[in-house]
Amino acid sequence: MARILVVEDDRDLNKAYSIILRHEGHEVVSAFDGQEALNKITDFEPELVLLDLLMPIMGGLEFLQQWEKSKRQPDVKILIFTNMENSPEVAEAYKLGAERCIIKSWTAPHNLARVVSDSLAGTKKKAKTPA
Amino acid sequence: MAKLHENPLTKRPRARARHHEEHVEAEALFTSMGDGAITTDEFGKITRVNPAAQQILGYSEAELLDEWLPKKIIALSFDDSPINLIDRPITKTFLTGKPISAKMYYRRKDGEKIPVAINTSPIIVDGKPLGAIELFRDITLEQEVDRMKSEFISLASHQLRTPLSAIKTYTHMLAEGYMGKLNSSQKKSLNTIISASNRMNELISTLLNITRIESGTIAITLKMVHMVTIIEDVLPELIVMAQAKNITVTLDASDNARNRIKTDSLIVKEVVTNLVSNAIKYTPDGGTVAIIVQAQRSDIRVEVRDSGWGIPTYDQDQIFSKFFRGQNIVKRETSGTGLGLYLVKGLIDALGGKVWFTSEESVGTSFFFTLPRANQSKTPGDKEKAIFL
Repeated sequence: MARILVVEDDRDLNKAYSIILRHEGHEVVSAFDGQEALNKITDFEPELVLLDLLMPIMGGLEFLQQWEKSKRQPDVKILIFTNMENSPEVAEAYKLGAERCIIKSWTAPHNLARVVSDSLAGTKKKAKTPA
Repeated sequence: MAKLHENPLTKRPRARARHHEEHVEAEALFTSMGDGAITTDEFGKITRVNPAAQQILGYSEAELLDEWLPKKIIALSFDDSPINLIDRPITKTFLTGKPISAKMYYRRKDGEKIPVAINTSPIIVDGKPLGAIELFRDITLEQEVDRMKSEFISLASHQLRTPLSAIKTYTHMLAEGYMGKLNSSQKKSLNTIISASNRMNELISTLLNITRIESGTIAITLKMVHMVTIIEDVLPELIVMAQAKNITVTLDASDNARNRIKTDSLIVKEVVTNLVSNAIKYTPDGGTVAIIVQAQRSDIRVEVRDSGWGIPTYDQDQIFSKFFRGQNIVKRETSGTGLGLYLVKGLIDALGGKVWFTSEESVGTSFFFTLPRANQSKTPGDKEKAIFL
């Protein structure tokens, strides 16, 4: 079980990913744009962030840049969840620390669960900082 | 009095007049051409320049005549790096004796960089090379239209994919029991929707990737990956497709430990999906599709072998051409855009690999691709991209 932050502006997709990941036993918090994700990230301390790129208010790349400035934990896994494969935006996301890019319209729930599980397998379980 | 035309000596004025007419016509043709035209001697020194060339380059005729073309007219790549002399179309024409086409940037007299499409040809008279002619035109407007087209397709593809993502996710959630158990009839209906949305996804991906390849905006991200893992990621859905036709799909990877490679896994997945789904589509019911991965010294080779209808010899030259579909296929399988293999070739080229095939009608086809271990992808800035495309 891990703490996962789902950052996706499409509410139906955000809900679907949350259902899938909770079904796998993870603790999930949702954000619908980069700014909301930044607001929630400090308290929640996710171990993995599922991040869309094209979002209103603040997109995924800007979120990564802002998060970097506020000294994010280096072992947090960032998975880009997008429909823009092979685009300059995805290349930029990798430079900002994204580990993997998953194409939304290609990915069935069981594959999402597997990819998340594979990414987390390389992470040591980290307890949340006591309040 | 003898008639003028009976005297051989008096035939000359008519011949001279005709020659003069032809010269005037040729001159008018050269002068009035809308494309820039420059002729050179056999050493590349400019001998003639038409008004369109002067207007495009911003130089007067006097400033261009007698100058060495490659030195006077600066040619640049899209990133402002100079085009090497050996890569200039006029050099290639001199070396090969053949017409050459290329696109690149020329620097005008005022320093402005303009994109041009160039065609050069040798001038040969009685078997002797006298020089060359270069025709070129400013393609700024065409480039802008291409860019807008590319942006539109990118945006449209992304917008089309957004609802498809919801369709894919929710149909799969239903099928996988996240919302409760389904009866067999409901599952069957769902599979129909899933299959149709997969086809739509595939088409959008293909269109988007082709646009990116053709406009040179495909971004390649290289990471160390296992080739077999990449293939295993895409197999489950392909096996479902194969099962509908009772086709057996197998994966054979010898020496698994050595199939690590630095490449772009998303692009490789696209290639494998295209080749395997083609193999399934063009193989009759009950056939076989085998995927074989071989680690070689400097590259990894993947073969997709089917027991399908094969490609007739007369079609094989065109198999990687855009929109091409073999006649033996079109009669049997009406779906298909003819873009898949064109895309596969473009993607493998972008990764610095090679793709080829062998085929026999009524026996089957094998498609092969290799990817170099020390990746030599053609990203912008590499010498291979020195000519603007």
